[in-house]
Amino acid sequence: MARSIKKGSAVVAVGTKKGGFLFHSPDRRKWSVEGPFNAGGAVYHMTLDPRDGRTVYAAAPMGSEPWGPAVYRGRAGEEPKATKTAPKFKEGSDLSVSRIWHIEPGPSNAPDTIYAGVEPAALFRSDDRGDTWHDVESLNYHPTRKEWQPGNGGLCLHSVLVDPRNPRHLMIGISAVGAFETRDGGRSWTTENRGVRAGFMPNQYPEWGQCVHKLAWDASGDGAIFQQNHCGTYHRGPDGGAWTEVTKGLPSEFGFPIAAHPEQKHTAFVTPLIGAENRVFPKGQMAVWKTTSSGKAWRSHTKGLPGPRAYMGVLREGMAVDAADPVGVYVGTNTGQLFASRDEGESWKMISDFLPPILSVSAGEAR
Amino acid sequence: MRIPPALRSYTDGQDEVVLEASNVAAMLRALDANFPGIRDRVVDEAGRRRPYVNVFVNEELIGASLPEAKLNPGDVVHILPSVAGG
Repeated sequence: MARSIKKGSAVVAVGTKKGGFLFHSPDRRKWSVEGPFNAGGAVYHMTLDPRDGRTVYAAAPMGSEPWGPAVYRGRAGEEPKATKTAPKFKEGSDLSVSRIWHIEPGPSNAPDTIYAGVEPAALFRSDDRGDTWHDVESLNYHPTRKEWQPGNGGLCLHSVLVDPRNPRHLMIGISAVGAFETRDGGRSWTTENRGVRAGFMPNQYPEWGQCVHKLAWDASGDGAIFQQNHCGTYHRGPDGGAWTEVTKGLPSEFGFPIAAHPEQKHTAFVTPLIGAENRVFPKGQMAVWKTTSSGKAWRSHTKGLPGPRAYMGVLREGMAVDAADPVGVYVGTNTGQLFASRDEGESWKMISDFLPPILSVSAGEAR
Repeated sequence: MRIPPALRSYTDGQDEVVLEASNVAAMLRALDANFPGIRDRVVDEAGRRRPYVNVFVNEELIGASLPEAKLNPGDVVHILPSVAGG
């Protein structure tokens, strides 16, 4: 990567099984691509920092797998470099970070703060853009930890949401443990899984043990939140309480990503798959489903998407929205196609094919 | 100590570093004192060698724990990724 990206361009950062790619476009019609970065190695997550619109962070093994996980940082359009250190547990710990799943830029009032969600499930915070890391012990050694169980993808902390109204309020998601919330800047965490089904457990509504797949703030701005789970799709209203299952109207309770509209409240997008045993689109038709009513009703969008013989799926980090008007929605498949909608999910166009299997998609605007 | 290409970003491009240490674990700590972060690429939080990372002293593959791998003056320590093929 070695090209400057025009200010105001839409940027879509794509992590794949064989490197990272940065797509950019001034009009979201004609796209250019930079990369691959970390060619040959997996890039589990890559994101443009919305606070400056220039810095790209990525989670990838150092060089290749043997050297352990690393966080990369660079200017959009340039090859990012590994930061000085990577998240790690206390020296002598039995726990060892095997993979970084997600990098989340911190609040706007702390521009050097970023969070990393890792496997085995833990949260780390850096206050110097990834050069040094703090083990968020209150969560990572939570009293429930001894009973945490992995999902099929491992025991991973994959969702980190920082409340834009209040940087001391965070929600995180761990598979297959559930959602945790702090309202005191990470001093203490509560399990937040009431109303969420764990269909694979004897007690289907435990305090924790749910297989959350992805979390996204509702744009209502009052703390409401969406969740895609192994066992259904959920919405939780403002200021806590139980989740409401909103799977009715969708073709399946199973899916991985969920992305919320950044401005229009109660609005989100999901990509349901047949189920845990067959993780492809129902009837071989790729579809993005949209709600504008916090999940009370859903509508399928397939215009421009492949089918009816499209036997692929979308992974946990495989969908994102930008903040343009109208909002752009981006979906990457595990068979290497990247699709974009520039009309809030109504219609779609493939902007790249023959990429390696796509592990993550995030979107933003270059500044 | 011979530094593999993948880790030379830590050593400002140097492919060899001369250090004093009585065993391999101590040598890694001495290396890290000069080039912070590099030790984490070879061992995990418990000091265990990462899977698929091999350490040789001269031409001998170290199978024992790294603190037990004693060093003598003039020994050459190699850090190499294993060939994870198939």
